[in-house]
Amino acid sequence: MEGRSYQRFPTVKIRELKNDYAKFELRDTDASIANALRRVMIAEVPTIAIDLVEIEVNSSVLNDEFIAHRLGLIPLTSERAMSMRFSRDCDACDGDGQCEYCSVEFHLRAKCLNDQTLDVTSRELISSDPSVVPVDFASPSSEYDNAENRGIMIVKLRRGQELRLRAIARKGIGKDHAKWSPAATVTFMYEPEIYINEDMMEKLTLEQRMSVVESSPTKVFDIDAKTGRVVVVDPEAYTYDDEVIKKCESLNAPGLVEVHPKEDSFIFTVESTGAIKASQLVLNAIDILKQKLDAVRLSEDTVEADEQFLELDAHMRGG
Amino acid sequence: MSGDDNDNESNYAYGKRTLAPHLLKEKDYSALEELFRHHIESFDHMVEYGIETMLLNIKPVQVFHPLSNQKLRNILFYHLITAWFGSLTDTILWFGKPEIFPPQTERQLRTMKDALYPFECRQARISYTGTFMMDICFQYGDGAVIREKFNFGQFPIMLKSKLCYLRNLPPKKLVSLKEEQSEMGGYFILNGLERVVRLLILPKRNYPTSMVRNSFRERREGYTDKAVVIRCVREDQSAVSLRLYYLSNGSARLAFWIQGREYMLPVGVMLKALADTTDHEIFACLTSCYDDNYDCVKGSVGSQLVGERAKIILDEVQDLSLFTHKQCLQHIGEHFQPVMIGLENESPSVVAAAVLKDYIFVHLDNNHDKFNLLIFMVQKLFSLVDHTSMPDNPDSLQNHEVLLPGHLITIYLKEKLQEWLLKTKNLLQDEANSSNKFDINSLADIKKLIEKNSPKQISSAIDNMLKTGTLLTQSGLDLQQRAGMTVQAERLNFLRFLSHFRAVHRGSSFAGLRTTTVRKLLPESWGFLCPVHTPDGEPCGLLNHMSSSCRITSYYDNKGNVRDFLKTRMSILSVLVGVGMTPSLPKLVQAGPPKVLSVLLDGRVVGSIPSDLVEKAVTHMRRLKLSATAQIPEDLEVGYVPLSMCGAYPGLFLFTSPSRFVRPVRNISIPPEEGNKFELIGPFEQVYMEISCPDGGGGGRKSMFPATHEEIHPTGILSVVANLTPWSDHNQSPRNMYQCQMGKQTMGFPSQALHSRADQKLYHLQTPQTPIVRTKAYEKYHIDEFPLGTNAIVAVLAYSGYDMEDAMVLNKSSVERGMFHGHIYQTETIDLTEQRSNSGHGQRIFRRSNLDKSSQHLVDSDGLPYVGQRIKPNEPYCSIYNEITSSTSSTKLKGSESVVVDYVAVDVKNKNNLQKVNIRFRRPRNPIIGDKFSSRHGQKGVCSQLWPDIDMPFAGLTGMRPDLIINPHAFPSRMTIGMLLESIAAKGGALHGKFMDATPFTSLLKKGNEGQESESSSLVDELGSMLTAYGFNYHGSEVLYSGVYGTELTCEIFIGPVYYQRLRHMVSDKFQVRSTGTVDQITRQPIKGRKRGGGIRFGEMERDSLLAHGAAYLLHDRLHISSDHHVADVCSICGSLLTTSLIPTKQRAIREIIGLPPGRIPKKVMCVACQTSKGMETVAMPYVFRYLAAELAAMNIKMTLQLSSGAEA
Repeated sequence: MEGRSYQRFPTVKIRELKNDYAKFELRDTDASIANALRRVMIAEVPTIAIDLVEIEVNSSVLNDEFIAHRLGLIPLTSERAMSMRFSRDCDACDGDGQCEYCSVEFHLRAKCLNDQTLDVTSRELISSDPSVVPVDFASPSSEYDNAENRGIMIVKLRRGQELRLRAIARKGIGKDHAKWSPAATVTFMYEPEIYINEDMMEKLTLEQRMSVVESSPTKVFDIDAKTGRVVVVDPEAYTYDDEVIKKCESLNAPGLVEVHPKEDSFIFTVESTGAIKASQLVLNAIDILKQKLDAVRLSEDTVEADEQFLELDAHMRGG
Repeated sequence: MSGDDNDNESNYAYGKRTLAPHLLKEKDYSALEELFRHHIESFDHMVEYGIETMLLNIKPVQVFHPLSNQKLRNILFYHLITAWFGSLTDTILWFGKPEIFPPQTERQLRTMKDALYPFECRQARISYTGTFMMDICFQYGDGAVIREKFNFGQFPIMLKSKLCYLRNLPPKKLVSLKEEQSEMGGYFILNGLERVVRLLILPKRNYPTSMVRNSFRERREGYTDKAVVIRCVREDQSAVSLRLYYLSNGSARLAFWIQGREYMLPVGVMLKALADTTDHEIFACLTSCYDDNYDCVKGSVGSQLVGERAKIILDEVQDLSLFTHKQCLQHIGEHFQPVMIGLENESPSVVAAAVLKDYIFVHLDNNHDKFNLLIFMVQKLFSLVDHTSMPDNPDSLQNHEVLLPGHLITIYLKEKLQEWLLKTKNLLQDEANSSNKFDINSLADIKKLIEKNSPKQISSAIDNMLKTGTLLTQSGLDLQQRAGMTVQAERLNFLRFLSHFRAVHRGSSFAGLRTTTVRKLLPESWGFLCPVHTPDGEPCGLLNHMSSSCRITSYYDNKGNVRDFLKTRMSILSVLVGVGMTPSLPKLVQAGPPKVLSVLLDGRVVGSIPSDLVEKAVTHMRRLKLSATAQIPEDLEVGYVPLSMCGAYPGLFLFTSPSRFVRPVRNISIPPEEGNKFELIGPFEQVYMEISCPDGGGGGRKSMFPATHEEIHPTGILSVVANLTPWSDHNQSPRNMYQCQMGKQTMGFPSQALHSRADQKLYHLQTPQTPIVRTKAYEKYHIDEFPLGTNAIVAVLAYSGYDMEDAMVLNKSSVERGMFHGHIYQTETIDLTEQRSNSGHGQRIFRRSNLDKSSQHLVDSDGLPYVGQRIKPNEPYCSIYNEITSSTSSTKLKGSESVVVDYVAVDVKNKNNLQKVNIRFRRPRNPIIGDKFSSRHGQKGVCSQLWPDIDMPFAGLTGMRPDLIINPHAFPSRMTIGMLLESIAAKGGALHGKFMDATPFTSLLKKGNEGQESESSSLVDELGSMLTAYGFNYHGSEVLYSGVYGTELTCEIFIGPVYYQRLRHMVSDKFQVRSTGTVDQITRQPIKGRKRGGGIRFGEMERDSLLAHGAAYLLHDRLHISSDHHVADVCSICGSLLTTSLIPTKQRAIREIIGLPPGRIPKKVMCVACQTSKGMETVAMPYVFRYLAAELAAMNIKMTLQLSSGAEA
């Protein structure tokens, strides 16, 4: 046991990168690390979101709490978030969350004056900090015409209705409230290894081969047009649904196709809410994961904890 | 939009071109209106014609002036009264020309009156009523009729009736009047509360039913358990029930009630009194049902004994020495003279005529018809006795009809008017007899006297009846119950609201019955009452709901015109004669089944028809029902009871009357070119009809009875609520019943006009969704206007251990994003005028105290709270200034949670100072542990954890985490396959971007059309291929990864969106916790009751369980230390607990002398009885024990305690 190192050097290979989307491979590591990364991305990478709303006038059909809740869920550009302070830790304002280090102020004033329904959207939110604004989905993808893309709807006003409020956005993490989660989706899958037993495959008729190919709901296999052999076209489309294996069993050919997940390589898909770029999200997550590990390592308690664990260990072994 | 707005319901393409159905501009609410129609139509008829008809049936009263010997008649007047004039020769007084005005506001200026709209009534907690004006007509002797208009008070008006302002308003207009877009009306607003008249089951009118009941035996000596009963209903809806009892000696007695007493008459006397005929003729009539040639063949009802019995009946009359028609009348008259009010001084023949008119077969106005009907009833009775026919089942829907709101009000009004008229008459009579000043010829005097017996009480009586649901009646109105006639139409959610109008109650008198026969679901109710939608528990089977296709006949035809029953009856008669009926008018045909069958039209024997012609006649009638041109009403019930061996008594029974159940079926026996094929059938005829249902097989039908009719759709047998359960045909049936219950408890979107409502409590779901999987009924009834749930991603797995035993785990992040967020709106009404009476006049106003600055941030200067203000428990939200004492009092918030002021409405009726305000509070109710949720398949569960998003399992492919986790154990025993299908279908629908149709039984229809195909596999195939098309597993399962470890879960997990409802049972309204708090004054034990901060009783069974565990110390703690621990002083000498008393100690000085350090001075106690403090001991005991001793002492029982130390014992 002594001296043997479990240290590995995980590698990351980026496959696809967009502002709000990233796909990458993570190799040479365990599920625990992969999952830790996922969990941190969802719940612990800080963003900025509206946390406190002071409503001056609200004569809309939605009540105050509803509007406040909706405001909170609007993603704000949060590049600053990593460097900002949590308002509870802020020295400058004693944690009341009103200073520039830990909060951003927003104003919203809208009143409908004509007979047409007025849509109050996230664009009407005026920020005190130009770097923290509601996420604008219109600019990067121009495929939507601008008329349809007017930001996130907050409330609709009819003639005479008015909404006037002041909102304070703060730094937070998704663990506390889902509104601070920068990730829309983070998922990973094990990279599959697919073996086709060619000898057994030879024995099958073309029809049976077709049925094997079609048994998978996703397009993993195909039949080579020339040779008529079953080939793997897209192993990553495999969802571990075992449909193919079941099919093989039903064809009396168990072991015809075998799929094994690679225990040490993962394919990550990250979608961001737009609060921070997907790439930044991953980097921030790694930073935070490191910080957390540091905290464990540097903690004075660790030594004691280790002792405790040793005791426990001995206890367990001793029966 | 692209001009395909008219696309039929099958097209839900959700692309950019077509709008979703709930966004379409023009909405057709006719299907919804149809559900409420019977309420409104019955009320309309009452207002338009019913009251006038009823007035005709109220007897005028006469007042005799003792001096001038003048008579004054007072009658409810009616414009056809001219017909009466011939007979009226004396001074008269009566009522007439009823008129009810639309609701109007009360204003200071009498001349200017504004319309009063329903929303104002709801908010101001007043009643939606209109002035009820009626003429009272006087006639002195033969003089001219004097009409005088009187105000009969404020009459409650049904919403959307012809008197309501909302009638026929387009949805937009309704919205501007602060109503729902789809407001259906059908209820009353009384003191701001919406109340519906409960539909009650009554025996079918004008149809003689044979019955066997043991209670009949106990009437008198010689009575048997057999009788034929008929409930006769007049044109004004008042009913009189008649019973024809069979006596063991072979005779029969006709019984009826006058003022709560049952009178029995020998049937012979009645027969003779009704018709002036010979004994021979009566004998012939009675025995006409028996023919030697047809003895004991199929369909014969008579037996040889009939002749004997007829003889006995006639002999009985002879024994009373009554021989002629006149003598019989005389006999009846003399007998009933004392009980007939107002006829005390008339001759017996007049009394007898009145008895025959008012009590015997009141639906007929001709003694000859009555005679014929009585003969028919006697024959039916004899047949029942001879077992040649079966008794009718009084619990079967076949012999039922419903009591409609309009009819109930009419008969109640009639009774109240009669009472009032009698009282007025007595007043006038007394005044005329005693006072000299009173001049009966002076109209002013009479008017003054009438006002004394205020006519306004009439309307307030109706108002009270609707408010409380209690009938204050002497006669009972021929109804079985007097309470529970109305219920509040709760708007908890739309389904509950709607169900109030579709519910039919069997009658509260049946609720107490120990037998369950009345509760059974009988085949006769097929298609009329929903087999699924009945509550379980106490009202099970008694409170039923009409099926979605079921209607109730009314006085209006489908074009909204009032029916002329006289005319339709005439044309039906002529049709009948045309097909071979022999009319009974000149002479009754002296033959009976099986040769000829009697034909009864609305309880009148109109003739007889040869049995070989009947079937042809019936088909002919049915065809005429469908043709628009014929004078035959479309809802005519052609009840042909065929000849049978000892089955139901045969005959052809036709009904045109209102308040019958009807439902449409397709008539397939008539050629398709004849247009309308939807025939309305009733429960009476349905039993004898051949209606095929598309269930594949012939339903056990033999080839000799080919189906003549066909069900339109199998879902027609389900109620509206039951119709909303997706794939209910795949669920175990009790689950569908549970869903019907839970659907009505769901916290949904109760009202679109939420902002202008002032209900005591409204549950409101903030972000409801339309279900992806829905039935056809969902769009048909526009449930999207009031959605009641959320499409939640549900994973079925055992995860975290918090989903055991029907608990469910919610995703914390989903909840934080707004899933199932909701509110309770609660309205407080503060009415200063209410308390005014006990503290003087008009001195209380809403105003804030200027001195008390502490509440200024909560209460505005007008004494009312700021809108949007959060108020914490025990903070004031309203302050009231008393002008006389110049003190300010404030109303404080009760309860233990803070609220937000949502809305403040003031009543500006009194312009000078506000007296009435509604303050609406909003209580947030976001999901927390302990809240209850359910799917639409009777699968309810309690939220046990809000689980962090990152710990939830996630799908590898999509990264999706479920919103909700339920345990797989919820399925095997409950067999709610519909829920699994819903999950798959919703997943497919979500992927393809379309709504999925989950109407039950559709596969049956498909199969009928396409031949044999396994139905279940086809549905699953359809859904499964939708999933595979998008690369998902065919069976709806997915590979999930543990959110905690990141490893693949060992099983594939069934996951997909399911429409989940949030039920109104929430912990925040129910939790009860107490550490310390108030105790009971007498026992010193903790009090009970959540509101008062009490505890939950640690009862005997709980005690038992602790004893069984041996947890004695805990038991001691619960029952003693935490309860009423008490240390009592007991005198060990006399053993008394009560005779001890504290000695005011003077021994302190002694203590100081001794020089002990100052400590706690021991209490000196002495026994008063023993006059010593020697034997005093302290004993710990429950305080109630001391109370017990005191109570016993009060009864002169002495309780002594024998003390011993624990060690010794």
